[in-house]
Amino acid sequence: MPKTANTYDTFTAIAEPKRRELIETLIGKEMSVGQLVEITRWNQPVVSKHLGVLRDAGLVSERKQGRQRIYRVNVNELRPIQLWIKQFEKHWNQQFDQLDAYLNQLQNKGDNK
Amino acid sequence: MSDFSVEPAVMTRDFEAPMQLVYEAWTQAEHLCQWQAPNADVVCEYKSAEIKSGGSSLHKMTMPNGHEMWLLTKYHELDPFTTIVFRQYRSNEAGEILAPPMPNWPREIEAIIQLSETDGITHMKFIWQPVNPTQEEAEAWTAHHAQGAGGWARSFEMLAAYLSQ
Repeated sequence: MPKTANTYDTFTAIAEPKRRELIETLIGKEMSVGQLVEITRWNQPVVSKHLGVLRDAGLVSERKQGRQRIYRVNVNELRPIQLWIKQFEKHWNQQFDQLDAYLNQLQNKGDNK
Repeated sequence: MSDFSVEPAVMTRDFEAPMQLVYEAWTQAEHLCQWQAPNADVVCEYKSAEIKSGGSSLHKMTMPNGHEMWLLTKYHELDPFTTIVFRQYRSNEAGEILAPPMPNWPREIEAIIQLSETDGITHMKFIWQPVNPTQEEAEAWTAHHAQGAGGWARSFEMLAAYLSQ
């Protein structure tokens, strides 16, 4: 089915703290809505609503087991976000380290300390 | 103008070098390539470098596997030797700006470098902030920065631990 203009994308999906909490709870596990309600102590419609957004963004997937729906995190969908976010600060920190080394080299400080 | 204000991200650093040298390392192409390449196997090359207020530069990083990454930098303000304001974009060889690789990551981020010197130590303040973000961009930015250790960082530590298993 084609995605609509309102489809939540990845960033919007995890900008909401409750949805990040659901992701954290689900990392490395599989859980039903009922189990998530028990752990988070939010009511069932709230849990279902946020799971729906995460599912539409491709961050969690669901499978049916009897009458229950079981959810898990799509780790591969999260990996690029993690890299992208970390990349920025890491990038500049690394750049500053290199600038520091270069400035020392320019001033010939490297060896006589 | 955007209605969505966001908190800037701030990083600071001290360098054992005079302010003028730090400023020049940021604003002269022959210096920039000496420290901006991520490692010795990456080749840095400036195609153009008009590093002055209102000017821009275009440089490329060539990875060991031959992959080229082009970066366009627009310089908004240069005030020797205290202030450098620039915006950097992923671009192609022609200097045409490419979309960010992540949806809703701010299209434009402005970096402000402020330098001051005390007793031969240059203190650098590096401030970066999205320019006129849309609501979605502001959310993406805020989700990352404003919540700091309690927000993204914690999720990602858990995720990193999980991924490394």
